Amino acid sequence: MPKELLGHKVFSLLEVCKSIEKTISNRYGTAFWVKAEINKLNHYPHSGHAYPELVEKRESTVLAEMRSVIWSSKFDEIDQQFKKVLGEGLKDGIEVLLLARVDYNAKYGLSLHILDIDPSFTLGELQKEKEESIRKLKEEGLFDANKSLDFPLLPQHIAIISVETSKGYSDFLKVIDQNSFGYKFFHMLFPALLQGEKAGPSIIKQLERIRSVLKHFDVVCIIRGGGGDVGLSTFNDYQLSKAVASFPLPVLSGIGHSTNETVTEMVSFTSAITPTELADYLLQRFHNYSVPVEDARKLLLSKVPHILAEENFRFEDKLGRFQHQIKNRLQNENGLLRNLMSDFRYYVSQSLASDKASLKEAPFKITSSVKDRLNRNRETLLELHSGIDKNGRSLLSSKSEGLDHLEKLIKMADPKNTMKLGYSIIRNKKGELIHSTKQLNIGEEIENIFVDGSLISKVESKKHDKKD
Amino acid sequence: MTKKINYEEAFDELQQIVQDIEEGDVTVDDLAAKVKRAEELIKVCRQKLSNTEEDVNNILRELESKNSSEQ
Repeated sequence: MPKELLGHKVFSLLEVCKSIEKTISNRYGTAFWVKAEINKLNHYPHSGHAYPELVEKRESTVLAEMRSVIWSSKFDEIDQQFKKVLGEGLKDGIEVLLLARVDYNAKYGLSLHILDIDPSFTLGELQKEKEESIRKLKEEGLFDANKSLDFPLLPQHIAIISVETSKGYSDFLKVIDQNSFGYKFFHMLFPALLQGEKAGPSIIKQLERIRSVLKHFDVVCIIRGGGGDVGLSTFNDYQLSKAVASFPLPVLSGIGHSTNETVTEMVSFTSAITPTELADYLLQRFHNYSVPVEDARKLLLSKVPHILAEENFRFEDKLGRFQHQIKNRLQNENGLLRNLMSDFRYYVSQSLASDKASLKEAPFKITSSVKDRLNRNRETLLELHSGIDKNGRSLLSSKSEGLDHLEKLIKMADPKNTMKLGYSIIRNKKGELIHSTKQLNIGEEIENIFVDGSLISKVESKKHDKKD
Repeated sequence: MTKKINYEEAFDELQQIVQDIEEGDVTVDDLAAKVKRAEELIKVCRQKLSNTEEDVNNILRELESKNSSEQ
């Protein structure tokens, strides 16, 4: 009750608080649903209670803020429900639809007493956030950027983003370091948080570190160890997904057992459900390189001797045929030669034999033929002799008449007779007879021979008849 | 990272030789040379599979020097 003090009506603080408490409980007697963002969850594992800091923001400006409380028994129930529906528990930065009562306590002030949180609303909000990340990345042309990179022929140098003590990391190393094929990997850990709010910025920071030593690496592996299905929504974060999508090396993610693929996994070059599967993927790439090399070796071992054997066979075959042909040819030639020789021998011996026979007969033949010849000649001579005797005289008389006639003719042909008619003979100095003007030159001396003597004269001029 | 012989090229060249031999495009005159080359390439490829010359400490030093130059 108020007291009179110095002329005022005065309430004690407790009375005021009680009054407010009474008013509020009258006004807000029943619980109601509130939409808010959990800015900070403020869960204290020791007591199990949580004191979420609730806000309402427009853009990034806080319009309203209020403390709240979830008692430990409720907290566990709600958290389980969240894990079941969303795959992760309550955390900072999620939009929630909560059932609460306005609570006023004289000592602790005004807060919302949270009785329940509907996980399906948050799921929808997270899904919206995820879809928003995808939409933005697609809009910026980054969604397929990492997938479009050329994968190295041999992904041997691996930058690993993981938690050093996690099961996933050790599973991954076990496979790649202890493979039975003798494949050697180089890997280096870039430690990051992979769970909770800070996972995104932490991974982004390590990606930046890797970027500064990029040339040492072929691929980046993001490996989340063992955490089950919880805490995956951080991998839908736009900033993280963008950092992965736009990274200049292929990013391989082995994030978790999710049936609901996160945006980070979507934009990764490839993603595996488990770290072991991711390690197997790398080994497979090594196989893809190694198998053709081994096949090449086997091919060389099997095919080359085969080629050589084949070539050898071909050569031997050719050689054999060649030898065969040469042998045949030689045999043929030899046969021909032998035939020729025997023919020759035969003909020679035949010829000799016949010559010998003719030689034997020759003397007889010669004797008889000479005798015949002599006899015939003798007869001819005798005939001639009698012929001459018989015809001699008449022949002589007729010949004598002819001779007289001839003598007349000869006399008539004597140049002297001709010269008497006025002709003369011309000779040059050499004594050659001149019968053409062509034989003489101007100034040359000539001898004119007459019946009774000769003249020496000189050619003064020449005149040709055109006929000559 | 220094690569004495580029293993990707070695791999491609080896594949080409294998193809040539399989398709009978190699004359006996060339065969010996090709086989020798293939053996070298196989050696390069195999070595690559089982060796890395990278050193974590070098990379760490590089990271540190980059950090300090940024500050």
